[in-house]
Amino acid sequence: MGRRIKQKYLFGILYACIAMSLIAGVHVQFFTHFHADFVWQEIPGFSAIYGFFGCVAIIIISKALGHHWLQKEEDYYD
Amino acid sequence: MIEWLHPGLIYIFGALLIPVLKGRWQKAYMLMLPIVALIDLTFMTEGTYWSFPVSDYVLTFGRVDKLSLIFAFVFVIASFCMTLYALHVKENGQHVAAFLYIGGALGVVFAGDLFSLYIFWEIMAWASLCLIWYRKTKASSEAGFRYIMVHLFGGICLLAGIILYVQSTGSIAFNVFDWGLGWGYVASYFILIGFLINAAVPPLHAWLADAYPEATITGAVFLTAFTTKSAVYVLIRGFPNVELLIWLGVIMALYGVVFAVLENDIRRLLAYHIISQVGYMVAGVGIGTAMAINGASAHAFCHILYKALLFMGAGAVIEMTGRSKFTELGGLYKYMPLTFWLYMIGAFSISGVPLFNGFVSKTMIVESAAGSHLPLVWLMLECASIGTFLHTGLKVPYLTWFSRKEPVVEAKEPPTNMLAAMGITAFLCVFIGVYPQALYRLLPYTVEYAPYAPAHVIGMSQLLLITFVGFWALRSKLHGTPTITLDTDWFYRKAGKRFIWFCEKPLLKFATDIDKVMKDLANSFIRFSRNPMAASMILITATSTRLLTPFNPAYRQKGQELVEARKQAVEEPMEKMSIGMGVLLVLLFFAFYLLIYLTHGVLWA
Repeated sequence: MGRRIKQKYLFGILYACIAMSLIAGVHVQFFTHFHADFVWQEIPGFSAIYGFFGCVAIIIISKALGHHWLQKEEDYYD
Repeated sequence: MIEWLHPGLIYIFGALLIPVLKGRWQKAYMLMLPIVALIDLTFMTEGTYWSFPVSDYVLTFGRVDKLSLIFAFVFVIASFCMTLYALHVKENGQHVAAFLYIGGALGVVFAGDLFSLYIFWEIMAWASLCLIWYRKTKASSEAGFRYIMVHLFGGICLLAGIILYVQSTGSIAFNVFDWGLGWGYVASYFILIGFLINAAVPPLHAWLADAYPEATITGAVFLTAFTTKSAVYVLIRGFPNVELLIWLGVIMALYGVVFAVLENDIRRLLAYHIISQVGYMVAGVGIGTAMAINGASAHAFCHILYKALLFMGAGAVIEMTGRSKFTELGGLYKYMPLTFWLYMIGAFSISGVPLFNGFVSKTMIVESAAGSHLPLVWLMLECASIGTFLHTGLKVPYLTWFSRKEPVVEAKEPPTNMLAAMGITAFLCVFIGVYPQALYRLLPYTVEYAPYAPAHVIGMSQLLLITFVGFWALRSKLHGTPTITLDTDWFYRKAGKRFIWFCEKPLLKFATDIDKVMKDLANSFIRFSRNPMAASMILITATSTRLLTPFNPAYRQKGQELVEARKQAVEEPMEKMSIGMGVLLVLLFFAFYLLIYLTHGVLWA
C-alpha cells in the first residue's frame, strides 16, 4: 500500500474513534448515573476540547519560551 | 536458619563476585542474583529485622511493611530486566557499579533509621556516578562531575538535617517528620532539601537532564529507576500530606513537559519526562490521602517499568546508529520495526492509554486530586498528560522511526538480550494494565478504586485522540532544532564560571595591588628610618620635580640627580624587612595590650 493511502486509512480510523468516544461520553453523562467532581466535567466532550487546546498551548508556549530565551547554540557551554 | 536476609546485601556482596567469573557463568550469575532477591522478598513477612544498638541509638536495616515491600519488589523486578538488557556489556566495572547502585537503593527502602539511610544514600550516589563516567567521553566526565557535586550537596543537606534532628529529638528513627513554619523545623527543611534534590524537583532538578543522557547506554536504563523513585519512597515516609509538595509536584509535571518540547536529544527528552512523571508522584505525596499515597506508590511501580522500557528503546537506537539527535535521526522503521513497537508499548504506558500500566496508576493520583477538591491541580495534571503523549508517544517515535521517506543511516535490530529485556518489560507493562489487581494487592492501603470506570476510559481516550490531531496539525513545529536548552544548571555552569573568572582576575588583581601598596609603604618606612635625612631629601626632590617640571623645564636636571641619590641609598632585600616589620607589629600589639590592661585591669571584663 502506498504511504498516502495508509495515512488516509489511519486518519479514517482516528476520526471514527474520536466520534465514538464523544458519543460514548454523551451517553455516559446523560443516560447513566454520572458523578462530576468539577463543574467543567458536565460539559459534553470536555476532555476533547481541553486536550486540543492544551496540546496547542503546550507547543506554542514552549516554542515561544525556547525561541526568545532558553534555546542556545550547541557550543554554548564550551 | 536466618531470620531475615537483606536483599540489598545480596546485590552489594553479590557484586564482588562478578569480576571473578567469566563468560557464560558470569552472565548466568548476574541474572541469578535478582531472582534470588525476588525469592527472598516473596518469603518476607512484615516486621522489624536487623536492629543493632550502637551506644545510645538503634540502627535498623530491615523495616519491612507494605510500603517498603512494594518499592523493593519493583526494584528487584526491574533490576532483572535491566541486567538482561546490559548482559552483552564486557566491562565488569559497569556491572559492579549497577549492582552496588541497586543494593544502595534497596538499602534506602528498608532503612528504619536515619544513619543507615544516609549510608545507603551515599552508596547510591557514588555507584550511579560510575555508570555515567563509564561512557568515557569528555561530555560524560564533565556531566558526571557536575552530577556528583549536586548529589554531594544534597547529601550534606541531608546529613545536616539528620544531625539537627537527632540533636533535638534524641532519636534516629526514620518516621514522619514534623512540618510547619518557623525555626523549630529547620531539621525537617534540611532533610527535605536532601530528598528533593534526589527527586529532581525544580529548581534542584538540572542534574538529571544534564547527566542521564550522557551515561552509558545500559547505565542510563539503571539510572532512570532508582535515584528518583527511592526519593519518592522517602518522601512518602517522611513528608506525607505536606501541601508544599502538591504544588512542587504539579510544577514539576508541567516543567518537564515544556522542556521536552525544546529538546533535540532523544534521551534528554525522555529524562525531562522522568521529571514530569515524578511530579505526579510528588503531588500524590503532598495530597497525602490513602488513595493519593496508593497512587504515588503504584505510579512509581509502573513508572520504573515503562521508563526503563523507553530508555531501552532509545538506547537501542543510539547503540545501533551511534546517533542521539532528532535532527540526525528518522526513517528507521525500515530497519528497526521491532524496537519501534516495543518502544510504543512504553510510550502508551507513560501516556496512560487504557490497557497499559500508566493508566491504572496515573489516573489514581489525578482522581485523588479530584477527591480532595483541588481543581487547579487536577487541570494541570491532565495538561501534563497531554504533553506526555505529545512527546513520548508521538514526537519521539515520529522523528526517530518515521518523518523521512528514507532512513538516514543503515541500522539493524539490537542484540537478542536487549530485545528480550524490552520484551519482558513490555509484557509487564501490559500485564499490569490489563490486570491491575496484581499491582493493587501490593499497595500500602486497601484500594477502593476502579480504573476502568467508563467515565475514566472515555475521558482519557478523548484527551489522547485529540492530542494526536493537534500533533499532526502542528508537527512541522515539532521538528528538532540543533540547539541546547538552558536550565537551572546554567547557574553552576555559566554563572559559576563567571564567578571563578571574577575571583581569578579582578579580585586577585585587587588583592595584589593592595599587597604592593602595603609593601611599598613598608619599604619607604624602612628607608626613612635607616637614613631620615637622605630619605626626606629624596622625597622632597621627587615631589618638587614632579610638580614643577611642567612650569620650568630646568627642573628636569633635578630628575637626574634624583636617580643618582636613589642609587646611593641601596635597598636591603625584602625578607629582612618583613622580619623586622613582624617584630615591630608584635611589639605594637603588646604595647596596645599593656595599655588596655593598665587602664581596665583585664582585657575584657
